Formats: sequence, structure tokens, C-alpha cells
Amino acid sequence: MSQKKRILYVQTSGVDTPERTYAPFVLATTAAMMNIDATIYFLIKGVTVVKKGEAEKIKLGSFPSLKEVVDQATRAGVKLQVCEQSTQLLGLSRGDFIPEAKVVGAATLNDLVLDADAILCF
Amino acid sequence: MKVKPDRTLDCLGLYCPEPVFRTRMELDDIRIGEILEVLADDPAAEADIRSLVKHLEQEIVNVSKDGNTVRILIKKVK
Repeated sequence: MSQKKRILYVQTSGVDTPERTYAPFVLATTAAMMNIDATIYFLIKGVTVVKKGEAEKIKLGSFPSLKEVVDQATRAGVKLQVCEQSTQLLGLSRGDFIPEAKVVGAATLNDLVLDADAILCF
Repeated sequence: MKVKPDRTLDCLGLYCPEPVFRTRMELDDIRIGEILEVLADDPAAEADIRSLVKHLEQEIVNVSKDGNTVRILIKKVK
């Protein structure tokens, strides 16, 4: 296991389906704990998850708030990337996202897909 | 197996992914050659911690069970 493995999580579900928002962060944080390089790419409605102020509003059952889960992921070194075209689709601007989420283009996603050892979509 | 752990991590009552997160933190914290004892009762914990230890290239010394509680001894080898 000399070279670090990479997992890419693609999040297309948004804050309108809160039960679909936790898993990518929990899995990516766990991957980071396992010394696996983890990136979450937010696409289509998924970009709403990393819109400023949104994660604070989501808390399901006995789970911590989504904000706590997002913070835990970024602390563990999980990279967050946002699809620029999707932000335009939803009428959002670059400044609307949490600082840890980097707005990137379609070519970046294609590169991430080619470089990943595994991809999971939510 | 008579192995005396250098440190014990109590994950009883904690659910996935907490036992994995805490085990990783403790492994970061102990010295090479030391043994960490993890106690957990989450049914997912044993397989998860085995997977974690494999990826971190550390060593499982012993796994034993008492009812719902699993006791995992991990040696930090690198």
C-alpha cells in the first residue's frame, strides 16, 4: 500500500433531501482516517449542501448537525469541490459557498474521475 | 493471550463512525511499539477497526469477545 488510494464522492442530492446529505461527509472523513485521499464533488442540487448557512439548518434524529459533520470532514483533510456550471444553474455566485469549498470546472471533475481508484455517487 | 496494553480506548455505546475516528486518533497519539486496547459494542466496530488497521499498516495483536463487547489489541508498528 505504498501509493495513497483515492476515493471520489459525488454529491448530487441537495438540502431538500437532508437524509442524503450526511453519508458523503461521514464516508470521506472515514476514508481520510484510513489514509485514503478523499474528495467530495458537489454537482447539480448537491451544491446547496455547501452553500453558506445551509448545513447549520440540518440535523437529523440523534445525529450531530450537518455543520459538525462538514467541519469534521474538512479538519480530517477532505477536499470539497463545487461545480461551477451547477452554481450558475441554481443562480448562485462564488461567494455563496463555505470557504472550504472550492468552485471548479467540468474538466476538473473529469480529471478527478480518471485519477480516482473508486467513485461513489449520492 | 497475556498482552498488557499501554492504553485503553473505551468506545462502548458509540456508533459508527466514532470507534474508527477515535481509534485513529489514539493510534496517532501512542508511540511505536505500544499496544492500544479498544473496547467497543457497536456490531460494526470489529470489521471497521480491522479495515482501519489494515489501511494504516498497523498490527492487530488479538481480538476477543465477551458478550456484545469486542476487545481489540492493536500494536503500533510504524
